[in-house]
Amino acid sequence: MSTSQHEIEVRIQKLLASYLESSNHPELEKHSAITPDTNLVSDFTLDSFQVMEFMMELEESFDIMIDMNSLSNSHTVRDLAKIVSDELE
Amino acid sequence: MALLEKFAAAAAIREQLQAGGHDPTQVVIERIISPTEGLVEGRHTILAGTNNYLGLTFDPACVEAGRNAIREQGTGTTGSRMANGSFAAHTALEQELADFYQVPYGMVFSTGYAANLGTLTALLKKGDAVLLDADAHASLYDGCQMSGADIFRFRHNDLVSLEKRLQRLGERAQNCLIITEGLYSVMGDCAPLVEIVKLKQQYGALLLVDEAHSLGVYGDHGCGVAEAQGVMDQVDFFVGTFSKSLGAMGGFCVSPHAELELIRYVSRPFIFTASSSPSIIASTHEALRQLKARPELRETLWRNARRLYEGFKAHGFEVGPELSPVVAVRLSGKELALSFWNRLLENGVYTNLMIPPASPDQHSYIRCSVSAAHTEQQVERIIEVFVGANLFANATTVFRE
Repeated sequence: MSTSQHEIEVRIQKLLASYLESSNHPELEKHSAITPDTNLVSDFTLDSFQVMEFMMELEESFDIMIDMNSLSNSHTVRDLAKIVSDELE
Repeated sequence: MALLEKFAAAAAIREQLQAGGHDPTQVVIERIISPTEGLVEGRHTILAGTNNYLGLTFDPACVEAGRNAIREQGTGTTGSRMANGSFAAHTALEQELADFYQVPYGMVFSTGYAANLGTLTALLKKGDAVLLDADAHASLYDGCQMSGADIFRFRHNDLVSLEKRLQRLGERAQNCLIITEGLYSVMGDCAPLVEIVKLKQQYGALLLVDEAHSLGVYGDHGCGVAEAQGVMDQVDFFVGTFSKSLGAMGGFCVSPHAELELIRYVSRPFIFTASSSPSIIASTHEALRQLKARPELRETLWRNARRLYEGFKAHGFEVGPELSPVVAVRLSGKELALSFWNRLLENGVYTNLMIPPASPDQHSYIRCSVSAAHTEQQVERIIEVFVGANLFANATTVFRE
C-alpha cells in the first residue's frame, strides 16, 4: 500500500524537527508548531544551504532523488510532501 | 516600488558585513605592487586570497606578450567570434590547451563562468540527468539550471551517495553527466577521481571535471587533479579558467569528444559574448608556456603551501582535511569570523571570508590561497598575523563573557 500524503507530511514534520535540533537552529523552540503549512524559509529562516541540506535528508530518508528544479517554489512541508509523493509513485 | 523591495535582504547582508568595520566584499586595492602585495588604505598588504597560484601576473614574458598583442592586434575583438570571425591567436590557444590535456578538441570562452555556462547549456537538455557534487561552484549549478536538465546533488566527495543516485537513475544513468571539481576552492580538498571514474565506467555515464583551482597546481605537467590521479584519459570534459594560475581572465573546455566542436554552434553563452581581447589571449598563452617550462613554480607553490598549512596547524588552528594551496581555517561563528577577518586586514593580510550560506557547511572560514610568488617571510608574516588575530579574538571573547 502506498504512503498517503498525510503520512508523508507527518514524517517530514518529524524530520524537520530533528534537522533543526541537529543543526542547533536558533528557532528550535518552534518545533512543536511545525504543521503542513510551515514554510522552511519564512518560518524557520533556513538559508539556501540549509534547505539543500534538508532536501538531502529527505532523499535519504525516503530513498528517492529530488530534482533541484522542483524546489524553486516549494518551501512548505505540504509542497515537499507533494514532491516526495510524486517521487514515490 | 515593489520591484526594488527585494533588495532589503541584500541591504541586511551588507549591514551585517559592514558591522565588522570593513565589508569583505568591497575591499579596494589602491595599488598592486606585486603578485602578492598591494596597498589597502595606504597599508602594505600581503595578498593571501587572490588565487594567484603561480604568481604569473607580473611575469615579464606574460606582460610583454600582452603588450605586443595590443600593439599588433589592437585592444579588442569588438564582438563574438561567430559574427566577427576568430583571431588566429584564439584558435591557436584552443589547440595548445587541447594538446596540453592530450585531447583533440578545445574551446576558449571569455570567462571561467562562461565556460561552465557555455559548455553545460549546450551539453545538457531537458530530460537529461546531472549528478552534481553538492559543493560544486555556482557556475556549475547555474549552467545545469539554465540547461533545464534534471539536477540531482550527491554529498560532497561521497562515493556511496553518488553510486546510490546512479543506481536510482537506472537506464537514465547512461544519459547522465557527473560533475565534480578537481580541487575544491573553499576547503582545499580534492575529488576522489579514480573512484568516480570507476563508477562512471560501471554505469556508462559521462564525466566533467572543473580544474579551475587545480590547473598549474596538480600533476606532473600541471594539468590538474585528474593528471595527478592518473585518470586524465577517462575524463570526458575538462573545464577551467585562465584567471587563476594563468593570471589573466577567460575559460576553456577541452574534450576527446568531437561534439565539442559542435558546441560552438549551439552554446548561447559562447555565441552571444564578445571574444577575449588579444592581450588576454596572448598573456594566457605565454602563461601556459611558463607553466609547462617552469615546474619549479609548482615546487615553490607547494613548499609555501606546506609551510602555511603546517604553521597554522602548529598554532592550533583547525585547517582543512588535506594539504593544498587552498588553506582554510575554521572559526566558530559568523561574528568571530568577521571580526577575525577584519583584524587580519587591518594588520596587512588580505584573505577571503566564507560565512554561511556561502560556506560549504554551517561553519565559517577564513580562506587563504598560497602563491609561488609568496616569499618565505610573507608566509611567516601571514601566520604571525593569524596568531595575533586569534589572541585578540580570544581576549575579546573572554572580555565579553
